[in-house]
Amino acid sequence: MEIGFFKKLIKTIVSDDKDSITNDKSDEELVKIFAETRDEAAFDEIVGRYSDRIYGFALRITRNTDDAEEVLQEVFLTLTKKLDTFRGESKFSSWLYRVTANASYMYLRSQKKHESNISLEKYYPYDEKGTLMGRIMDKDWSSRPDIIIFSKEALKIIDDSINEMPESYRAVFHLRDIEGLSNEEVANILEITIPTAKSRLHRGRLFLRDKLSDYFHEWRK
Amino acid sequence: MFICKDVVENIMEYIDSELDLQTLKELEKHTGDCPECMAFVNTYKRMLEITGKLKDKSFVTPEVRNRLRILLKSKVKPV
Repeated sequence: MEIGFFKKLIKTIVSDDKDSITNDKSDEELVKIFAETRDEAAFDEIVGRYSDRIYGFALRITRNTDDAEEVLQEVFLTLTKKLDTFRGESKFSSWLYRVTANASYMYLRSQKKHESNISLEKYYPYDEKGTLMGRIMDKDWSSRPDIIIFSKEALKIIDDSINEMPESYRAVFHLRDIEGLSNEEVANILEITIPTAKSRLHRGRLFLRDKLSDYFHEWRK
Repeated sequence: MFICKDVVENIMEYIDSELDLQTLKELEKHTGDCPECMAFVNTYKRMLEITGKLKDKSFVTPEVRNRLRILLKSKVKPV
């Protein structure tokens, strides 16, 4: 029994050492290690760091958990074959998001899924004279307590509302406001101009602010 | 002269502290005098706080992660 315990302990220590070797490496260093040696620990570390982000982004574009899982698997299978083609011209994470976006769009196209054709134009809050008179204060929810603002229901409302946006808007919104990337990174990943990325983000945010105002206004009633 | 529409159209740059000083002053003066715009800015900021929380959400379930691990174990081979 003691021998078993020590074997287990040694295994744990060895495993921890292996983890610490990969844990403190940058993405780019892990890519280099994997490309040169096919080191499984390096690849596992990349999977650990990015599976949630890839799946979340794919889910945002496809809006379907089965499709997102297919994309997730496809992206990592692609990586096992093509990781050594990463040239380091952009950040690894940007490159990975681009691979994910392309796989998700291809999946959407091949599945011929119904896409949202909602227009975000009408969510500009001002009237034809450019004023907000009588349009915002009645539904001002900004001073609601955090327990309501950050409730599971509110988070679900915003998640559902993002999914109502047309695909090109929700991809920008997800990368910028949920993943926290810069406008430049978002534009680079989605292969659009920075002004286009900012314009889509602006419209998406106005749409969401409006949706939340309706939700919290109804909740008060 | 700054109107409500200008506040809306400059809100992203305002939040990101990218406005030039003159525009910033005009926006803050208008917002200080216009309760509708003040409410707009406040709800906009609160919305960003909520969306920021979505970053903490875990999307991948243990089952999805496990299926991925099994698939990759069969595909990743030493050189």
